[in-house]
Amino acid sequence: MESRILRPTLALYTVLFLLFLYGPMIVLTILSFQSADGGPQFPIREWSVYWYEHLLGFAETSRVSQLPVGDSLLRSIVLAFMTTVVSTVLGVMSAEAFRTRFKGSGPAFYLIILGMMVPGVLVGLGMALLSNTLGIARAWWGTSFVLHVVYTYPFAFLVMLAIFNRFDRTVEEASLSLGVSPAQTFRRVTFPIIFPGVLSAMLFSFTLSYDEFARTLFTAGRDLTLPLAIYGTFSVEIYPNIFAFGVLTTLFSFTLLVIYGLLMKRFTSKASRYSGQEDA
Amino acid sequence: MSCTSNTKADRMIYDLELISVGKTYSDGTVAVSDFDLKVEKGEFVAFLGPSGCGKSTTLRMIAGFEDITNGEVMMMGQNVTHIPPEKRPTSMIFQNYALFPHMTVRENVAFGLDVKGTPKAERNRKVDRILDMFDLEQFADRKADKLSGGQRQRIALARGLVVEPEILLLDEPLGALDANLRRIIQNELKLLQRELGITFIFVTHAQSEALGLSDRVVVMSNGVVEQISAPRELYRRPQTPFVADFIGSNTVFEGTAKGAAGTGFGMIETPYGMMKGVGQGDETLAVVPAEAFRIAPLHTPDEIRIDGVLAERHLVGAVGHLKVRLPGERDVAVEVSADRPEVRALTLGAPVTLGIDPASITLIHA
Repeated sequence: MESRILRPTLALYTVLFLLFLYGPMIVLTILSFQSADGGPQFPIREWSVYWYEHLLGFAETSRVSQLPVGDSLLRSIVLAFMTTVVSTVLGVMSAEAFRTRFKGSGPAFYLIILGMMVPGVLVGLGMALLSNTLGIARAWWGTSFVLHVVYTYPFAFLVMLAIFNRFDRTVEEASLSLGVSPAQTFRRVTFPIIFPGVLSAMLFSFTLSYDEFARTLFTAGRDLTLPLAIYGTFSVEIYPNIFAFGVLTTLFSFTLLVIYGLLMKRFTSKASRYSGQEDA
Repeated sequence: MSCTSNTKADRMIYDLELISVGKTYSDGTVAVSDFDLKVEKGEFVAFLGPSGCGKSTTLRMIAGFEDITNGEVMMMGQNVTHIPPEKRPTSMIFQNYALFPHMTVRENVAFGLDVKGTPKAERNRKVDRILDMFDLEQFADRKADKLSGGQRQRIALARGLVVEPEILLLDEPLGALDANLRRIIQNELKLLQRELGITFIFVTHAQSEALGLSDRVVVMSNGVVEQISAPRELYRRPQTPFVADFIGSNTVFEGTAKGAAGTGFGMIETPYGMMKGVGQGDETLAVVPAEAFRIAPLHTPDEIRIDGVLAERHLVGAVGHLKVRLPGERDVAVEVSADRPEVRALTLGAPVTLGIDPASITLIHA
């Protein structure tokens, strides 16, 4: 049989591919446990959690200054949160609008999608020039925030569009025909049904904004976001504390994913709670 | 009701009145045109036709889900043409049930009253009563989408009726059910409608449903109303070639008009001889229902007789479905009572003389 050769080959390929994919993360994790006098490369002199202590400020003073991430981390989280809220609300509303064809819906669609297609560096530069011309001060909560929304909103929009595509319109019609207003129908019928999609749109917006670099680079102004702050430390000298930070921020992302997964599971199982009793 | 034109009838308030209602899409496609209908309170009207004939579109225009581009819709004397669906005194039942998947059966049924802010005691009383009526109490706390098709359609009916609509609109409500269940729910619907006295507008492509349930049937094809009649009348007196072809199993003979032949009768000359039938005399088609053929002619003076040969015979229970081949390779469908001796004596290939009573022939325009 063909599959006797094909299947193991494909399996091997998949394993290698995954290794390649996660290689950087594995290396980063290993190096983060380097000893205090070790550098950001192999070999590991001695396993330790020194750099984690250093990062969190528990280590005694050393020749390496502490990573300046505290404020920038807070900024990035606040920015990602603001972006998530605005992009998701916009995404849901515009996807709802696109359920019916309206005049100019074609061009409008491509204009929205453009936000995720155009190169980030160009938009960032353009925004910087524009704000200079108009005399608007650049700030992470202003110019950067706008660009983050422009960037993440198309993702939220596309997710919601896919959700509405599979949405059974007759449940809304059923609600309307019972005498329920369109606003109440959206709140009581449509929204609960599309909620898993809204969660996905939120996750997309948050993670995309959280580690956005190119657009933020030119528009953040004086106060840096997390990706910019980390990049800034590269230009001096690299120590394993940056790896320790990388591991922690990856864990943070995983936590978000787990919360997302749990919410989805809770939501979908709520709908099928009675499935086991059907024949009872 | 008969279409009398005295002033009293004109001023009568109908539950539902369609005045040359039509819908043309923006690309020029005509979905429905010139739909006229008056429905009295408590009437059961079926819209019947092949898929794509505009019956569902018309129903959705009545519900308010489709824009009406021509004409007007009146409900209880009020013009509702441009009133949104939630403000119309209608409730719609869908083929796919359209239950709210995130709610229990009880929540589904209570939804309309709940949003309207009906006091809790009154709401519970009404919901309990209707759950009981549809035999749904034991499922009340289950999720609606985990029940069988028949149960789900009952939930949808309960949900639609609990808000006490004046007119219930049903869009192929039995289409997704198997034959057995369809018959059961069909009976329930008929009883329910009689009991409640609510006007029902029922869309279907199944003849048996339309003819078995309704007081009047609206036959549609290609966006046009072909005929509006009581079921029996539709069978006996089709008015257009489409209806003659679509309803029952009729044979249509083509011919040339030969003028009137006594009051209410006309004459047509067909390749099988002169045929007298109910009409004016200027029609060119003679429609003969399958059960109007006699295989043992009575030889009354009026009777039309055609000679043929028995080509097929199927006995289904008490009914014999025959196919008789006339000269010119023309097959006609004949339905007779299977236990008659002359039917049992028939042999395939043997000559048969078909007799038709002129009163059972309908003359129509091509």
